[in-house]
Amino acid sequence: MKDLMRIKSLISNEIETLLNQQVKKEAHSSAIYLSMASWCNRNGYDFSSEYFFKQAEEERLHQLKIYKYILDMGGMSVSPEITNIKLEYNSFREVFEEALDQEISVTQSIKNIYARCLKEQDFVTMEFLNWFLKEQREEEYKARRALELFEVIGEEGTGRWQIDKHVGEIKYPPQA
Amino acid sequence: MIDTVQTASLTEVFSTKAGTIFQSDAERCWYVDFAGKFARFDYRCLLKLRKAVYHVNIEQKLLSSDKSPDVEIIFICACDHCYILTLIQIIAFKELLEGTFVMFELNHILHDRLGYFAA
Repeated sequence: MKDLMRIKSLISNEIETLLNQQVKKEAHSSAIYLSMASWCNRNGYDFSSEYFFKQAEEERLHQLKIYKYILDMGGMSVSPEITNIKLEYNSFREVFEEALDQEISVTQSIKNIYARCLKEQDFVTMEFLNWFLKEQREEEYKARRALELFEVIGEEGTGRWQIDKHVGEIKYPPQA
Repeated sequence: MIDTVQTASLTEVFSTKAGTIFQSDAERCWYVDFAGKFARFDYRCLLKLRKAVYHVNIEQKLLSSDKSPDVEIIFICACDHCYILTLIQIIAFKELLEGTFVMFELNHILHDRLGYFAA
């Protein structure tokens, strides 16, 4: 008996489900970042708003990358439904705290898929996910650095204005 | 019912008292013999069928006290077949599909291991 399931799709059904969940997670992240960009813009933090617009775009690209990978491997990509996006934040700092939480949750989720791939010996998907693991290094670094600005500069006086100015300058060293 | 010409090229994947699922290597599809119906399913439709059957909340239906009959319509988008099943049949169908997919998994492992030996 031929292995028809394998002929039709390179990835297993479990990996396909996990990747579709990741597509949803990335889309959710993108929507959250857009909401953060909106909040920052409304409250006069122009540089941070710009920073979050870029982040939203990046998350969208991550979503599409996984989405296309599932299709390329013979699976079925599911366009996700995104709901419950927070509109208001209590403080400027809270926005960045939640941004870091979001990135940590994405990293954990990718690690979980990687662990499943390892169990199934799905080396092809593991190789595909390597790019995402490296990307998460950068994403978490940037989110952590942004939050550290609140400690380094402080929020008193023109502190928040200074923090906003520096957020746009955070760069991850390309050699890292 | 299955005639002898058809069964000649079909391999039985999994069978229960309620039904059988066959695979046709030549046509790259599966034949589901269940609830008095012998239906052909391609890869996408079989996965959709599995999803539809697994999606039925059996526990909720068993505990439900409303007067509606315990009948579920399994309709699969872009597929020629439709099932109208009772709760007992749903349970039996689920068992049949679960067994079938376990056999697919086993077949995959065998192919994988035999492939290693051949290399």
